[in-house]
Amino acid sequence: MKKTTFIEAITQAMAEEMERDEHVFLIGQDIGLYGGVFKATKGLLDKFGPRRVIDAPISEVYIAGGSVGAAMVGLRPVAEIQFADFITPSMDQIIQQMAKMRYRTGAQWTSPMTIRVCCGGDVGGGLYHSQINEQWFFSQPGLIVLLPSTPYDAKGLLKSAIRGDDPVIFFEHKRLYRWIKEDLPEEDFTVPIGRAAIRTEGKDVTIVSYGLMAHRSREAVDQLEKDGISCELIDMRTILPWDRETIFESVKKTSRVVLVQESSKTGGVMAEVGAAIAEELFDYLDAPVTRVCGLDVPAIPFAPPMEHYFLPNAEKIGRVVKKVMAY
Amino acid sequence: MPAKTKSKTAVSKPTLKNIGLSEETLMGLYTNLLKTRTLDERFRKLFRQGRFAGTYFSAVGQEATTVGPTYGTREEDIIAPSHREIGAAVTKGIPLVHIVAQVYARINSPDKGKTHPCHYGWRAKGVISPSSTLAGQTIVGTGCAMGFWIQKKDNVVLAFFGEGATSRGGWHEALNFAGIHKLPIVYICQNNLWAESVPATMQAGIKHFADRAKAYGFPGVTIDGNDIVLVHQTAAEAIARARAGEGPTLIECKTYRWYGHSEIDPADYRTQDEIDEWRRKDPLDRADRLLQDLGILTTEKREAIVVEVNQEIDAAIDACEKEKYAEPEEAYIDVYSEQFPVRRDEY
Repeated sequence: MKKTTFIEAITQAMAEEMERDEHVFLIGQDIGLYGGVFKATKGLLDKFGPRRVIDAPISEVYIAGGSVGAAMVGLRPVAEIQFADFITPSMDQIIQQMAKMRYRTGAQWTSPMTIRVCCGGDVGGGLYHSQINEQWFFSQPGLIVLLPSTPYDAKGLLKSAIRGDDPVIFFEHKRLYRWIKEDLPEEDFTVPIGRAAIRTEGKDVTIVSYGLMAHRSREAVDQLEKDGISCELIDMRTILPWDRETIFESVKKTSRVVLVQESSKTGGVMAEVGAAIAEELFDYLDAPVTRVCGLDVPAIPFAPPMEHYFLPNAEKIGRVVKKVMAY
Repeated sequence: MPAKTKSKTAVSKPTLKNIGLSEETLMGLYTNLLKTRTLDERFRKLFRQGRFAGTYFSAVGQEATTVGPTYGTREEDIIAPSHREIGAAVTKGIPLVHIVAQVYARINSPDKGKTHPCHYGWRAKGVISPSSTLAGQTIVGTGCAMGFWIQKKDNVVLAFFGEGATSRGGWHEALNFAGIHKLPIVYICQNNLWAESVPATMQAGIKHFADRAKAYGFPGVTIDGNDIVLVHQTAAEAIARARAGEGPTLIECKTYRWYGHSEIDPADYRTQDEIDEWRRKDPLDRADRLLQDLGILTTEKREAIVVEVNQEIDAAIDACEKEKYAEPEEAYIDVYSEQFPVRRDEY
């Protein structure tokens, strides 16, 4: 069986959903003739035609807001924002229309749609092609926010997003696109939204992460194992609504938790996860809830030493886990 | 195609034939204008009496710009309104009780009381409940038109907004996209000269907002927005073109709102002369005189319509004043589909 890359898994999910349901269509910049800057939509224009694979003008407001409108009249839009860095013009439409449509209309009108957003650093992308800003969407109830770390989850979650009745922001970490490969089942499958995955079972400390940082955490876990520390690694996969149960059960078991995210620390996803653990599980904890995050600076800087300095990695995570164990 | 300015020269002796509309259509337009005006003025009174919370956005003076285009649209056509489209809500056929309930924020409001007065919406009649972000529904409405285009359906979208909203970037992105694909949509700009307190001359460096259409490759036309017949006919032509796949039209209706931006705005940035001048151009009064000249409206007939409209409005208000607010826990409903119930905090 041919190993499937993360990006191939994304392409397969879209192609299969478009085959399955004629209401699914794609819109975004460079997705048609060019097949996407990362080739996520390669071949789909030829297969499905220009009304289902729409090359959009440089109009992130319209790509988001227009998709909301199409969703309201029965379509299943899958919009692409080429880089998370360029999603800011869409924010008005995402926050005011997409996230609130069901709420503000008493569910008369809804916005079942997916916005795929390519994000993340560790690719030498520079200040404006490396950003990861899931925390902006995380603080908006009404949105589903996904950030998978494996081809299997990417394909299964994207299918769940397209089939579901809620608006989804689907982050794809570009560092994973061609790095991570795995065998995928031949048959149709989905991955449920709202459930975290336990990647390694352990008893000493819980590490919670997602996206590229799930892989960096895994590298740390392997090293810590050699040092005699047994880590339970949880990959959140769904950022909003996040899986409290799985995380809480693990923390109750290990009594120690390290939270790892790539984006800046202040106001991030792990700030909320950490606060919830502190609020609900105080009696179980043997050490302070501790985070390893990107730096609190405006974005990921370009020069390689600065970029690496910004990003959490296995070494940083390992050092923090040891501190938490020594507490 | 160049933008053009239309103005209908007064015909000395109007007849149904030279107007080109049936008696039924003219009476329909008139009745909806009258109903909209009556309901709107009633809402203003009720607000002053403290009968509902928040504020109220009156559209008195500019009703022809919403009633005219909406009258005669199909049930499956979409209305993409802003906050002053009570005329579109009434004409498209949202039951009055739900319109009143929306303003009163009662449980029988389509939104269960979650938004704000004047955000009328009703899925069954294709009216999108608006957001307060200006040009919001222009963008979303263009998306609805894209949806019809993808599915090759011949439904049409009417998108309403004020001249102020045309300054927003997203408005331009939407019209640009609609021009590329000749989407089935008609853009109706209600140029009432004031965006809250900012005059139209401070909104754009062009005189006619319809000129903006030039940039997007479809026709733009500026018309007298207080002439219900002209507004209806111009929109009907544009709707027919949109339905036939010939693309969008931008119709700028010159009009005026008699009162403040909302009921808490004294609107003292305008001169009395300006207000008086526009009151003389009252669209309802003009329609009334036209129909009388045509011999299809008599004093008795008008009185009968007024009585009927008031009875309908009274009944709707009575029903809503007796209605409850939703339970406060309703705040937790309709965040997501039933698949994702929201975790509730108890304090």
